[in-house]
Amino acid sequence: MTVFRTFLKVLNKCKTPIIMYTVFLIFFGGFNIQTSDNSTNFTASKPDILIINKDCEKGITKNLIHYIEKNSNIIDIENKEEKINDALFYRDVNYIIYIPDHFREDFLNHKNPKIEVKSTGDYQASLAEMMLERYMKIANTYNKNLSSEKKIIKNIDDTLSKQAKVEITSKLDTDHLEKATFYYNFTNYCLLAGCIYVICLILSSFKNEHIQKRTIISSMNYKEYNRKLLLSNSLFSIVLWLFYVLLSFILLGNIMFTLHGLIYIINSFVFTLCALTLAFLLGNLVSNKNAINGIVNVIALGSSFLCGAFVPMEYLPNSVLTIAHILPSYWFIKTNELLKTIESFNLETIKPIILNMAVIVIFTIIFVVITNIISSKKRKIN
Amino acid sequence: MKNVIEVKNLTKEYKELKAVDNLSFAVQEGEILGLLGPNGSGKSTTINCILSLLNFSEGSIKIFGKEMKPDAYDIKKDIGVVFQDVAVFEELSVYDNIDYFCGLYIKDKRVRKKYVEEAIQLVGLEEFKNFFPKKLSGGLLRRLNIACGIAHKPKLIFLDEPTVAVDPQSRNNILDGIKMLRDRGATIIYTTHYMEEVEILCDRVIILDKGKIIASGTNAEVKALASIEEKVSVEAIDLDKKYIDEIKKFKNVDEVIYNNNILFIRYKKGKNNLDTLLDYLKEEHIKYNKIYSERPTLNDVFLELTGKELRD
Repeated sequence: MTVFRTFLKVLNKCKTPIIMYTVFLIFFGGFNIQTSDNSTNFTASKPDILIINKDCEKGITKNLIHYIEKNSNIIDIENKEEKINDALFYRDVNYIIYIPDHFREDFLNHKNPKIEVKSTGDYQASLAEMMLERYMKIANTYNKNLSSEKKIIKNIDDTLSKQAKVEITSKLDTDHLEKATFYYNFTNYCLLAGCIYVICLILSSFKNEHIQKRTIISSMNYKEYNRKLLLSNSLFSIVLWLFYVLLSFILLGNIMFTLHGLIYIINSFVFTLCALTLAFLLGNLVSNKNAINGIVNVIALGSSFLCGAFVPMEYLPNSVLTIAHILPSYWFIKTNELLKTIESFNLETIKPIILNMAVIVIFTIIFVVITNIISSKKRKIN
Repeated sequence: MKNVIEVKNLTKEYKELKAVDNLSFAVQEGEILGLLGPNGSGKSTTINCILSLLNFSEGSIKIFGKEMKPDAYDIKKDIGVVFQDVAVFEELSVYDNIDYFCGLYIKDKRVRKKYVEEAIQLVGLEEFKNFFPKKLSGGLLRRLNIACGIAHKPKLIFLDEPTVAVDPQSRNNILDGIKMLRDRGATIIYTTHYMEEVEILCDRVIILDKGKIIASGTNAEVKALASIEEKVSVEAIDLDKKYIDEIKKFKNVDEVIYNNNILFIRYKKGKNNLDTLLDYLKEEHIKYNKIYSERPTLNDVFLELTGKELRD
């Protein structure tokens, strides 16, 4: 109890920077969650089109204009070349359609009348172009086979009114899963920074050269002493992890009560153990309290950027992701990213998640082994 | 008397350097042994080897009749160490610091509380027990350092220069505390550069140089190794060279130095040296202000044996 009680007293003495650090992390994490727009829902957009009709507004010409009006925003601009060009330049209009004189007549007589267009070249203009091409292809097809203009128009209208019904069968709550992934990716930084900062700060006191010398010559078994110190630090790490899990329930709500939520929690727990052992290793190496902030920045911030905690993995170059493989954060974030795409859990979908967690466990074991080697070497001054 | 520590043929080598060279000595129960030597003489290395903080190349170390090893916790429970560098938690109060280090030895909360209070009393920190180390002066901090090392009432105590850079009040307090520990029956190994402390405290001294014992015994025994018997300083006189030459011819005179109106004479063995000098000064009507006569110190012994000052 002596070690644990002293651990708590030292922790209590460090409470101001710890609270400030946690509030800072929560503020940025929570703020990002609330402001991030990761919506995957789509709404159709309508291009801005100007129609300059030199033909009579009858028959097929009228039908074409009506179709375009229905599927776009018709812009009214004075028919002067200069003003039309200005509108195009300033993106007031995306697409301009010039229906030539005698269009109706030439079309019905199979003379292939040419419709002139002007375009801004952007995606809205492409949409307008696709719309016009679609109409003309259908109209030409019926014009070849039918002689009556009425029948042609009726068939065009029937064809264009048919809509393919697209049904999304996925039951994934993509919006909330995106947010949960974002939150747990961000906890990569929170858990790493929190563990490294606090554990290094506390160990810098316990592992102070002179205090350690006094501990080694005491009658307390040094291995037992280290075990007690590790247990005290573990308790702190678990409290920190529970805090962020609790916060995820508050910020993310129902999604945390699903199987997805449970795996996010398990994954973050495995990662917390890894962060704990890494922090314990660093705490054994670092004795200068002033260096701790720098270490937090290099390790926690560095690995968060490299592994896609802040910037999604798909935006990171392959070379960066290759380097990131050697960091536990990569496997933690990879699982989070994977989780948002999994609809149902079975052996096949869960296997990569288990493998990622196994890699984190291997990292944990490596950190424990290195810490033991360093600790036993430090015990003897050769 | 039982031997508390027995060191036999201890040798510690760093590549080509022998830090400790075939050292053998014993420390008896209840004595204060002064371990003296200049920086780099092997004092700290010897202590670190005894405490199993260092591996050693050859030799054997027994404490309380048992072989000392890193995992000899039954021996360690009766050892207290006060290192030269202050080893306390900045985040803990005076009381909590002593309680923590005592807690590494004493599990019983009630006993520990009593021991901590006694240690605070021993070093005179009653008024400061709720203070944090940052608020303590250098002297008080040293007293806290001692309290942390001895609170568990060890039978064997190592004190490594505990009075370095402390004020006279704290020094007296520390020395009184050490005497009290000895009176309680503790065996103490004391290293210091201050000769007066050795003369006040130590029953026996060992002088080390280049990892070897160059002298050992009681204070008187070690001082007897010096070839000089007496040192005399005569202040504020105006002497011609002929008088100095005359004094050099006196019986038992080893060396005469005249500098800044101070005449310094070192005498070899012999008696009535001061009387002869005083008679001569009176005869020759030589005026003087003060005359000091000193017995040889341990430092003189060391200087003779090694050609170096202890504090070098």
